[in-house]
Amino acid sequence: MGVMRVTILPDREVREVQASTVADLLRQLGLHRDAHLVVRRDEILTGDVRLTETDEVEIYPVISGGRS
Amino acid sequence: MRCHACARPANVEIRRSRIAFCARCYPDWFRARVQERIDHDRMFRRDQRVLVAVSGGKDSLALWHALARLGYRADGVYIRLGIGGYSRRSQEKCERFAEQHGLTLHQVDLEGREGFVVPDLRDARHGKPCAACGTVKRYHFNRVAADLGYDVVATGHNLDDEAATLFGNLVHWNIDHLGRQGPVLESTHPGLVRKVKPLYRLSERETAAYALIERIDYILEECPMAKGAKSLAYKAMLNSLEEQQPGAKYGFLVGFLKQGRAALPGVGAGQAPELRECVRCGQPTTAELCAYCRMADRGRRRHDRASAGVSSA
Repeated sequence: MGVMRVTILPDREVREVQASTVADLLRQLGLHRDAHLVVRRDEILTGDVRLTETDEVEIYPVISGGRS
Repeated sequence: MRCHACARPANVEIRRSRIAFCARCYPDWFRARVQERIDHDRMFRRDQRVLVAVSGGKDSLALWHALARLGYRADGVYIRLGIGGYSRRSQEKCERFAEQHGLTLHQVDLEGREGFVVPDLRDARHGKPCAACGTVKRYHFNRVAADLGYDVVATGHNLDDEAATLFGNLVHWNIDHLGRQGPVLESTHPGLVRKVKPLYRLSERETAAYALIERIDYILEECPMAKGAKSLAYKAMLNSLEEQQPGAKYGFLVGFLKQGRAALPGVGAGQAPELRECVRCGQPTTAELCAYCRMADRGRRRHDRASAGVSSA
């Protein structure tokens, strides 16, 4: 299991993480599964998808606040 | 994981239902859920005119997109709240969406029309204008809908929004607000247009997935005024629970609407407060001068002071 580059939106912060699956990736980053979408080459990935070190993935946060 | 509808590799999982869909089947599933709520909760009919309150964010634009695709007569309304570059960028997203899809977008320019902007409404205690911003939006959505003859105002409130609001109202035991929380707010005065929330059983993640798959260009950045808002803390807490117990948010909200709300004193007993018209603006209110007009006076005073400070500096 190698290190992969992950870009976190909206600020495009780049992190390097070791993770075997999408669910594992979010766990490593301490992010809630229900609050994020993980995208690879314009495709949303389910939690069970296996990741390799050559994968470039983006994480979209989906939570907005302050609404009333 | 395979698509529940066609067995191709899945893209979006719905953990609470233990199903998943591919990017081709997911939009149909999403729109079917929206249609189901509109019909089941009797939100509006096909011959009625719907005004969708849009902010440039994923929820309101996804709702507008879904309603248009389902064949409803849905126009949009956007309020220029004057929150610097964030407002300019969100306005552009709404204008571009309307243009791309050939839809009608109404706009309200708060500063030009009212002489203040949302940052003028920061409260003294927390420095946040979120509650006041909610009042501004509700007021103008209703005013535009009533003036232009729309039958209903639809907002993009999703499951996470509604569960967080419910949680906040329980934390503070805000019984009045608990009794009024629901997916349909009926009109209790000729000047008050019905309000509906067709996305209230779809999670924020599901709405974002719809927006991404349908290539809706929405504003990703968070409102700068909302940083540190209580609703974000409630959502994070509920998502921690959801991590361990998929379906917890859904059960919390839908259980309340089905069972909890009816047990509250006064709910469904026709005890809606009597409304009259504001002496200044004519909008429905319980007081002589409505909450919006009182708040607008404060906003204008602060706006004038801030402008004088800038020009004398």
